[in-house]
Amino acid sequence: MRTTFQEELDLLEATLQEEGQLVLRALRAAINALEQRDEELADEVIAFDDDVDQHYVRIEEGIQLLLARQTPVASDLRLVLAILHVNLHLERMADYCVTIAKLTKLVPEVDPGPRFVEGFEEMGSRCEEMIRVALDSFGSRDLAGAESLVDLDELIDRANRRVVERILELGGDPAMREYGLRMVVVSRALERIGDHAVDIGEQTAYLLTAEFREFTDASHPTAREA
Amino acid sequence: MTESFTIAPVIDVAQVTQDSRPSEREVVFDIHDLTVSYGRVTAISGVDLQIHRNVITAIIGPSGCGKSTFIRCLNRMNDLVPGARIEGQILYQGSDLYASGVDPVEIRRRIGMVFQKANPFPKSIYDNVAWGPRVLGMRKELDERVEKALRSAALWDEVKDRLKKNALSLSGGQQQRLCIARAIAVEPEVLLLDEPASALDPIATSAIEDLMHQLKREYTLVIVTHNMQQAARVADLTAFFSLEVDETRRSGVLVEYDATSKIFTNPSDKRTEDYVTGRFG
Repeated sequence: MRTTFQEELDLLEATLQEEGQLVLRALRAAINALEQRDEELADEVIAFDDDVDQHYVRIEEGIQLLLARQTPVASDLRLVLAILHVNLHLERMADYCVTIAKLTKLVPEVDPGPRFVEGFEEMGSRCEEMIRVALDSFGSRDLAGAESLVDLDELIDRANRRVVERILELGGDPAMREYGLRMVVVSRALERIGDHAVDIGEQTAYLLTAEFREFTDASHPTAREA
Repeated sequence: MTESFTIAPVIDVAQVTQDSRPSEREVVFDIHDLTVSYGRVTAISGVDLQIHRNVITAIIGPSGCGKSTFIRCLNRMNDLVPGARIEGQILYQGSDLYASGVDPVEIRRRIGMVFQKANPFPKSIYDNVAWGPRVLGMRKELDERVEKALRSAALWDEVKDRLKKNALSLSGGQQQRLCIARAIAVEPEVLLLDEPASALDPIATSAIEDLMHQLKREYTLVIVTHNMQQAARVADLTAFFSLEVDETRRSGVLVEYDATSKIFTNPSDKRTEDYVTGRFG
């Protein structure tokens, strides 16, 4: 048995799961700051990104060492490659949380009313659910769980379209127009977080089946997706 | 033959070697239900395997799984072991290698072998390479033949000015390449390599591995190696042998045979997975 190697692999995966928990915290704080127009909380989200980045770098370095010293093959190799990708997806998600926090700080005066709060809350909760499903199915090697992310993503896409429709109804007031513009980007950031969760699901599928495949093909959608 | 073997039914050799010339698909050795025993001890049992032309096939597996026994059957080296018994069939170019009337000496000319420990004769570099051709009466243009063999073994530039020096004055890596030159001087069709680099440093090892890539254009190579990364680096196809132990017997079996890329990214059999990832035993 390669005890040291197994311990190093386990540690990498544990650090990845920890990074996922940090992303969940950053996302919840970013949504709360947005809904409550809380600039202080938004600043905390921005500062908190350093913690995620530290985890990201630690995992990258760990993978570099593992590849150089242990030469993993077969399922070990697939796990290391999957961790490499999932790490990047989590780091991107945290960056989107920072984007949301920065946009929140740009329009603190505007009260968008309950319809927007509702819309963002829905998108935020769905993103949280997707991140949890992505992390859990990766951790428990659950192919069905990973594949279920496609359906969850469809719900976020719909919520995104609803938020955009509400933005279009905001009218011609310059302050509201600026707010609307910012919120299109927020909505888009949340929608992208969902996409990254699906990508993590694809890594779980690769780990389990050794096949590279996208769950959905954006450039060649099936009838259902179109 | 045990039923638990998982052997890929069809291997697309052309795809594996990224070469679609028809000769690439040719089967050189067709082995059926090969069982080898030494006295009462069964070394390998029930091996079915095909070895293809101009392809490097690696045999990997733990100590005692019968890798060397297997490769030694391919040029009848086991004939020299007292008590060795070979059952099953090995067809070489379609003919039974063990049929009566087959001359083992001629077989060993056509199927050369290089061993773990370099074993040059205590003679000059030139004489080592010229020895085989002389014995076989290939005396015509001997100098050219020696040069060609040394060039093929990537040794010529290092020894061309001291061909009359004793071969034992060469370094370990050079001695091993000299043995390869000696093996190919008699123009064999197949080269069997039994742990050819296990006693060499990384630089000499990489010279041997580069050489194998060169040689596969003209020869069919079968390499036994303990070093899994070496198999991953050089072989097109990899066969994994394991030791199967039950109450009545213990013997080497072929567990999985497939493209090297498949064996090292997604092997089909759990035993292969456990071995290549180092979780064996």
